[in-house]
Amino acid sequence: MTSEVGTTGVENSGMHRLPLFGSRQERVYWMFLAPVLLAMLVFFLLPLLQVFWISFSDPSIGTDNYTRLVSNRAIQKVVLTTLRICLTTTVLSVVIGYVIAFAVTLAPPRTRSLLMFAILVPFWMSVLVRAFAWVTLLRNEGIINSFLMSFGIIDSPLAMSNNEFGVIIGMTHYMTPYAVLPLLASMDGINPALVSAARGLGAGATQSFRQVFLPLTKPGIFAATILVFIMTLGFFVTPIILGGGRTVMIAEYITVQMQQTLRWGLAAALATVLLGVVLLLIGLLSRSMDMRKMLGGN
Amino acid sequence: MSNLITPSTRHLITRRKALALTGAAIAAPIILRSGRAGAGVELVMANWGGDAIPNFKAAFADPFEKETGIKVTIDGSGPTDGKIKAMVESGNVTWNVCDADSFTSQDLGSKGLLEEIDYSIVDANKVRPGQALKYGCASYIYTYVIAYNSKKLPEAPKTWADFWNVEKFPGKRSFWKYMSGALEAALIADGVPADQLYPIDTKRALKKLEELKDHIILWESGADSQRFLREGEVSMASIWNTRATLLERDTKGEIKYTFNQGVAGPSSWAVPKGVKNLKETMQFIAFMQKPELQFELLKSMSNGPANPAGSALATGDLATADPGNADNWKTEIPLDVKWYAENYNTVLNDYLDLFS
Repeated sequence: MTSEVGTTGVENSGMHRLPLFGSRQERVYWMFLAPVLLAMLVFFLLPLLQVFWISFSDPSIGTDNYTRLVSNRAIQKVVLTTLRICLTTTVLSVVIGYVIAFAVTLAPPRTRSLLMFAILVPFWMSVLVRAFAWVTLLRNEGIINSFLMSFGIIDSPLAMSNNEFGVIIGMTHYMTPYAVLPLLASMDGINPALVSAARGLGAGATQSFRQVFLPLTKPGIFAATILVFIMTLGFFVTPIILGGGRTVMIAEYITVQMQQTLRWGLAAALATVLLGVVLLLIGLLSRSMDMRKMLGGN
Repeated sequence: MSNLITPSTRHLITRRKALALTGAAIAAPIILRSGRAGAGVELVMANWGGDAIPNFKAAFADPFEKETGIKVTIDGSGPTDGKIKAMVESGNVTWNVCDADSFTSQDLGSKGLLEEIDYSIVDANKVRPGQALKYGCASYIYTYVIAYNSKKLPEAPKTWADFWNVEKFPGKRSFWKYMSGALEAALIADGVPADQLYPIDTKRALKKLEELKDHIILWESGADSQRFLREGEVSMASIWNTRATLLERDTKGEIKYTFNQGVAGPSSWAVPKGVKNLKETMQFIAFMQKPELQFELLKSMSNGPANPAGSALATGDLATADPGNADNWKTEIPLDVKWYAENYNTVLNDYLDLFS
């Protein structure tokens, strides 16, 4: 093992290359890494390749499944529903996340840790618990509707769950912390003196935000948007619980074809396309920024 | 953590090393698989979990072990078609008996994924006509009944026509997300006589469902169906009679149900292709046909005995709650297993498409 150097994304991200150490250290490094790599290969990469193969071989060899993805109106509807929900959720999460991250950046240290705590607690809570909490709030005889009706604000309950509305609420709540973290990382990196300088040069609060602060957070906005969008694409539990069977997203459609109708080829083709889209987005993301920095590393 | 490893070593993944690792990864499952040892006969029954684990154990597994010494373990992870297919194709079949819908077993069987039931061991005469099928023998009866919230609907709905009548019976409705029972309900509401339902006119049924679409939400799990009714999310729903009995008991009669026009399907014992101990498996299925064992399951879970002799043991409230009870059976609609086996996969996608 001499000095072969692989090309990885890390290299592109502007990290300093340090001189290589001796081969003994290298061996130790591989000893630590090998079990994990092996596990990833056996339990992740090989099954993934199998999924890819199924999409071309079940029920017969060829690209039929992919043709069906394009020609089948029902699948297109599922894809459109998924895109609509994911885009709405992404925009809402990033906007709300931006406001929160901005508030955290401006807050004095003690308030800041309190706010971070409030952001991170739901971040660590099970998706199932959070979906059912929203059911309790949103359902026809739930807390919000009962409250509004007892004060005579509405006569009949608002339809807030068992539909797309409920799904978007639940998903936005889930995704907002994921938007806050990269935004916060990017806002923390901005030298506050720049904003002061803008003010000193005569810009108003709005103008200095719009012309100085906002452009500087653009990479953060981009990262948060892609990160949140990628994660929403695979949502399964929240739409099932809050959608009342009326909001079928891609993940659920794949499950139905796997478990109920045994159209594995179609399910695998859809999964492959979804994975392709996600990889493409991640590629886009890693080209424009340091992924590790964005996720809080270093 | 990342500080423990110097940045320089991050670049060292080479193609040659990756290839070597891939080779090892491919070899590993083959090496691991060869180590299986045979032990005394032990069977595994796969069912849908929850209360069905202790209750199936008490009704079937424990008595069987007592009589034959063969231990039966219950795996409650849910034998969906997809899991059965995956298991059979992996070549490592561990489920001897699966609690599966009759029609899905016929479909799976026709795809070569199930063993045929050996009717020299299992008694085809201990189930109702048409329920001893090539790839599955009826295990118990369960019915999609009309259940309703009597606080919201003082006058009891009795028919599927009432189910469609949102003016007289206001409130949302719910059907199962996986379609069983919904098409029959739609056709009956549309005026098709019960004995002429099959083969189902899919177009007509879906059109009738579309009429009611804005009032319908779909339940995914049995627990969902209970939640929707109990929380007042819907006023009426087509749900499993097993859950309806629970709801009636838990709400002290606030949620009621009727077997009238309910769609009654047999569940079946299905045996994945290539499982070991096939003979003992068939013996276990035959053993479970005993009327007194099936009666136990009626008592604990409201699952109707597949063996009419089991239903005959029930009296009083138990008889009323038994979908297999002779009086109830007369008012119910037996689900046509053959139609479902041939059409379910296609029509289910149309059904889901209608509601999404």
